[in-house]
Amino acid sequence: MGSNETAGIAQLLVSLQLSDSAFPSGFYAMSHGLEGFAQCGLVERDSVFELLEDMLVQTVGPGDATALARAHGVAARQDWDGVTELDKQLFAAKLSSELRVASTRSGRQLAEMASETFAGTPGGDDIATWARRVKSRLTPGCQPIVTGVCYAATGVPVAQAVVSDLFAFAISYAGAALRLRLTDHRSTQVLLRRIQPTIEVVAADAVARPAADIGGFTPVGDIMSASHERAEARLFTS
Amino acid sequence: MSDNVLRVGIGGPVGTGKTSLTEALVPIFMAAGRTPGVITNDIYTQEDARHVRRELAGVIDPERVVGVETGACPHTAVRDDPTMNLAAGEELLERFPDIDTLIYESGGDNLTLTFSPSLADVFVFVLDTSNGEKMPRKGGPGITESDILVINKVDIAQYVRTDLSVMERDAHAVRKGKPVILTNSLDGTGVHRLFDTILERWQLSRGEIVA
Repeated sequence: MGSNETAGIAQLLVSLQLSDSAFPSGFYAMSHGLEGFAQCGLVERDSVFELLEDMLVQTVGPGDATALARAHGVAARQDWDGVTELDKQLFAAKLSSELRVASTRSGRQLAEMASETFAGTPGGDDIATWARRVKSRLTPGCQPIVTGVCYAATGVPVAQAVVSDLFAFAISYAGAALRLRLTDHRSTQVLLRRIQPTIEVVAADAVARPAADIGGFTPVGDIMSASHERAEARLFTS
Repeated sequence: MSDNVLRVGIGGPVGTGKTSLTEALVPIFMAAGRTPGVITNDIYTQEDARHVRRELAGVIDPERVVGVETGACPHTAVRDDPTMNLAAGEELLERFPDIDTLIYESGGDNLTLTFSPSLADVFVFVLDTSNGEKMPRKGGPGITESDILVINKVDIAQYVRTDLSVMERDAHAVRKGKPVILTNSLDGTGVHRLFDTILERWQLSRGEIVA
């Protein structure tokens, strides 16, 4: 990150708040595909890190993270129709129903909450504008798009915004792994430290990737997700 | 969400009869002219949602009963991060705009469970006599802070060595005047009183908001 991109303390605090595991984004109820892999016996304790790495590189980076990065730039220009197009594109790129539902349930609630949280503070008006569009169903309301709007409105630089959201994803995945007994409290922290270099690379790729390439290609992940949404028993919504 | 939609949160330990109480309340709400929808929070399956649909077949459209996954922790899903429950409630109201009562049934939990005020207007905590006579004395936010404490399964107290009068006395003592209602949700004992008290508490909370 160059000096001209270095975020100020105010922006750092915003990104800490939005990526905190206690931030009520609905992430707690998601396993991001991990439970589906576990139910099919395709992930064990010794492969939970590799699966996270694969998800970041193959799915989250090209999909959610890239959409967030592009939405950040468009939202900074207050081009709300442009943000809507990105939102629709990301929604269409999510193949299984449960992933679309999880993302939009989270995003719609996040939009409303952020609108209240940031009201009367820098960026609050832009967030409220986007929240109204989401609430009126003019746009799907995917979580990464809402998050991108929040970061752009509050002046958090795009690289920091993408890294923050990727780390929030990793924390959520690690929390799900803990509850699925694939990690313990110590190995969870080891996993979160080990994944940080991957997050750096994935974030840099996402910041550079054009909107036309939003997507990702993970056929096994899509099959696991499709299987999970019809599973007889499940703890997580995704 | 409209202020005219009553949102009832029903929580309590596993097996105390939250689902059967929900099933007993729905027809009473409907007889009173209200139109309910039900959201169950299953810990690991869709069992509760299926049970409600099955037991209330012909009474309520099965599409108006939905299950929400909790991410392994019912506390979080109804208190710390109620995002998925709020979203499920909004989606239900969008699909069925005539719904004016949402009943949220929490997954079975322990004595510390409470509902977020942003999710439920009236929080009902359910114990049953088989939890043991001492349970109200143990306290915990569910028992002491809920809007209404229900002691369910009054019919089996004699078989589980529970002196119901002691359980009720202790419940009143720790709740400092807030309602305690004894029920048998299977034969309807106390359920109409529970319904009346839910509406009273709702009116009271709306009055406080207006004031």
